[in-house]
Amino acid sequence: MATLDELTTEATAEIEAAKPLYKQVNNERLEFTDDDYAQAITDLANSKWQEQEFGYIQARQEAYGSIADQLDMMYWDNVNGTTTWKDHIAQVKSDNPKPV
Amino acid sequence: MAGSLIKIDEEIVSSAVASVTLGGTDWDSSYDVYMVRINNVLPATDTVNFRLRFTVSGSADDSSNYDRAFKNLRGDTTFGNTSSTNADHINIGGLGTTGQEMSNAILYLFNFNNASEYSFCTLEATTRNDQSHLRGFQGGAVLTVAQATDGVNFSMDSGNIDSGTFVLYGLKK
Repeated sequence: MATLDELTTEATAEIEAAKPLYKQVNNERLEFTDDDYAQAITDLANSKWQEQEFGYIQARQEAYGSIADQLDMMYWDNVNGTTTWKDHIAQVKSDNPKPV
Repeated sequence: MAGSLIKIDEEIVSSAVASVTLGGTDWDSSYDVYMVRINNVLPATDTVNFRLRFTVSGSADDSSNYDRAFKNLRGDTTFGNTSSTNADHINIGGLGTTGQEMSNAILYLFNFNNASEYSFCTLEATTRNDQSHLRGFQGGAVLTVAQATDGVNFSMDSGNIDSGTFVLYGLKK
């Protein structure tokens, strides 16, 4: 797990490599100011932090089957004595682990 | 009524930029309500989040004071809810670079000229996300600072906006 300082260093290197960056204002394409570059680094570092810490939540939400599909799995598990639903949930969780 | 939407600013991105600002020095403070239309916004980098901030004196307000709540209407599975508090931006959905993973949206802006009230927006968007799944977003957001704001700023959380059209209108009183 990277610290926020380490992610800021990573973000700084990425922004430096991406220079020049531009903004579009008043129908003009202008290069970023020093303040804009500083903000871009902060934003990118924070974004990386959010993804590292909480990205698994959105990934799991995307991967879970619909409620209707999950209810169907549960019904057939009950009828047949299978573990399809439990396996599905476990697979999504293991594919998208919570950071420790 | 004809002529009720008055165009204030338009930004058409044809060469990639990291951010787009509507308003700022173009802002016309004579309206109570504003409408923003965004069309065919494509990111330059795959699997990114499209983000929105309000501007103060033309600069994006990056304070951690944005709250948002959206209904997430999903074409591929059960509808969900998306919300956050005290964020430094408003996340308006994931986008990608394959299969027209683009965003189209209408926003309404409220209280932007009132220094003693919070600035609010509603958002209605239709996008294809970075998994090429249809998403419809319906909801609202607020910047919980009593201050006047004078525009909106769009960016991706990583990389550039590759193309798109951004238009700001005032709603005639």
